[in-house]
Amino acid sequence: MSDAAATLTQDRQRLELSALSAPAVIFTVAMIAFPVVYTIWLGFQSFSSTGQQSFAGLANYAKLASDYEFWHGLWVTIALYVLSLFLQLVFGVWLALVLFHAKRLPGIVRSMFISPFMMPPVVAGMMWLVILDPSLGAANYILQSLGLPPSEWLASPTWVIPTVALIDSWQWTPYVALIVLGGLQSLPPSVYEAAQIDGASPFKTFQRITLPLLLPTIVTAAILRSVDLLRFFDIIYITTQGGPGNASNTLNIYGFRVGFEFFNIGYASALMLTLTAIVFGAVLAFNRLRGAVAW
Amino acid sequence: MNARMFAARVALPVLAVVAVSAQASAADFDWKKFQGKTVTFLANNNPVSQALLSYKADFEKLTGITLKVDGYQEQQMRQRLVTVMNARSDEVDVFMTLPSREGEQFAVSGWYADLSAMSKNEAATDYDLAGLSQALLKAGTFSGKLTSMPMNIEGPILYYRTDILKKCGVEKPATIKDVEAAAQKIKACDSTITPFVSRGLKPAVAYTFSNMLHNIGGSYMANGKSNLCSPKGKETLDTYSRLLRDYGPPGVVNYSFQQISALYRSGRAAMSFESSNELRTVMDGGERLKDTGLAPFPAGEAGQVPTAIGWGMAVSAYSKQPSAAWYFVQWATSPEIQKRMALQGIAPPRPAVANDPEYRKWIDAEPVRKEWQAALDVLATKGSSEVGYPIVANPQSREFIGQAVQDLILKQKTVDQACADADKELDALIAQK
Repeated sequence: MSDAAATLTQDRQRLELSALSAPAVIFTVAMIAFPVVYTIWLGFQSFSSTGQQSFAGLANYAKLASDYEFWHGLWVTIALYVLSLFLQLVFGVWLALVLFHAKRLPGIVRSMFISPFMMPPVVAGMMWLVILDPSLGAANYILQSLGLPPSEWLASPTWVIPTVALIDSWQWTPYVALIVLGGLQSLPPSVYEAAQIDGASPFKTFQRITLPLLLPTIVTAAILRSVDLLRFFDIIYITTQGGPGNASNTLNIYGFRVGFEFFNIGYASALMLTLTAIVFGAVLAFNRLRGAVAW
Repeated sequence: MNARMFAARVALPVLAVVAVSAQASAADFDWKKFQGKTVTFLANNNPVSQALLSYKADFEKLTGITLKVDGYQEQQMRQRLVTVMNARSDEVDVFMTLPSREGEQFAVSGWYADLSAMSKNEAATDYDLAGLSQALLKAGTFSGKLTSMPMNIEGPILYYRTDILKKCGVEKPATIKDVEAAAQKIKACDSTITPFVSRGLKPAVAYTFSNMLHNIGGSYMANGKSNLCSPKGKETLDTYSRLLRDYGPPGVVNYSFQQISALYRSGRAAMSFESSNELRTVMDGGERLKDTGLAPFPAGEAGQVPTAIGWGMAVSAYSKQPSAAWYFVQWATSPEIQKRMALQGIAPPRPAVANDPEYRKWIDAEPVRKEWQAALDVLATKGSSEVGYPIVANPQSREFIGQAVQDLILKQKTVDQACADADKELDALIAQK
């Protein structure tokens, strides 16, 4: 076959492949691009309480700067994010180490450890709402049985963020533990053998070998949890609806209320796009960190 | 011809013909006109729709229409409705609506079909439009358009434990001041009982707060401005929040009807302001059946101005089959169905149903039901449907009322600060078009 004929055949094959994959590519791009483009367009629109729509330019974004609820929501979102991520990474690594070393732990016990993240968040929220009810819940009953003072949990402006962070951590720590466990199982045994020969204590082994080698895996878990935590919605909506007052009013809850309860879809879109930008920023920062700790 | 002969030969036959004609007319109504169609009903999964939908098969058998039910909890239902209506979609034919909350907003947005003509021209003879509560029909009428048909009547009433009041030597509270005095005595008499509970969750507060404001003699607006900082407004904010702060359960800022009913039903609350609609939930299990008393919302300085609202059924302005949709609405709000719903504890928005012998028998079977009906009679005769600000952005106005109450319960602001902050936000809301 001449070179020209071969090139022609290759071109034809490329064309055929393109034609065959085009529907899937177009569908995927449309499914991702359309909602994003539509939301961007909505962000430039103004909606009155009666749904009357008009072009607003950058007014929705300008309003963010002077909107107390936006800045408060941003603070709540970040506080909840930092506290939850810290708890989930610390306890996730600890749980992974327990599961890794307790090789004789029965399968059913291992399954119980990791089962919370398989529960739908709405069910988890309802369950904790009942447990933490200050009057009827089991949590205060246990505290009082132990001679401790009861807490208002989700009804206290001071305690609502730590309480929601605890609920989310209860649910998602096992997920982090599973990821870290995968990382632990892939660590090279030779490094541990060398440490053992050198007489390193278990703590030193963990501090100098396990943790540094696990860092890329931990950062991966942090990225996955960051995306979820920054757009945290379901458990807060079920348990507090952003209250008491606005103590747990995250950007996501605020955006939902502005859009679906007050019908200002334009401003809600601007809020949500800002939140999306924050999520992207966090993911990019963690990606850089992952590059820095890779081995 | 004497009078007796006139009656026998002329009047009686004429009356008989009229009666037979009316019967024939009711029977002649073509319920099968839309046989084979499918009507989609967006329902709030509450006791009202649950009672109604227990007769779904009867509607389908009578009309040949397939009823597709899209049921959600209240907030999720509104979220779905907003999405459907903003897309001008015909996915929903009939939806449940609270005219006191979103009526004006939805009406100005053009989401309701006008039921005025259909309710007169396309109704079965026995529908009896005039028999429906005129106050609720008026509450569902905006700019002359009838936007929804009432499904029930409800309002906040006082639930109280007769045994605890007796034990603590407290009389049944007749006024708001009596409630506070009773709560004080109960707190001293039995520390294991929550003396009083009402709504503390931010968006839910307006329902019970509005009744107290009106009874005390306050109003939400004066001269086109928010009026929460008026002496009566401040008195209401102070009284409502003080009752919950000093005598309410811990965590009351997260309390809406579900938590209140659960607390009261469990026997851990002595008095409660809650919806008349919650009777069925509160009595579930029968533990509170014999030790509960019910009364209209206690009077204030302005007497009793009870809050009376009702869920309504509306036809979507974007429905492509409004007439078939109307068939479902008229069946659901007909005397026969509302009587059947009443026997399940859904207060009927038709005085005639309330006087029906079968319903009266059900009411008379338990003293608490008699008190419930007496409280409902007060709602029906004196009720005002103003819950929150009478403006288009009514749902948002409820947030600021709730915020002011929560600020006071949590002692985060003084009454002057809380009402001033709320008035500032509410004035901005009132100024919006």
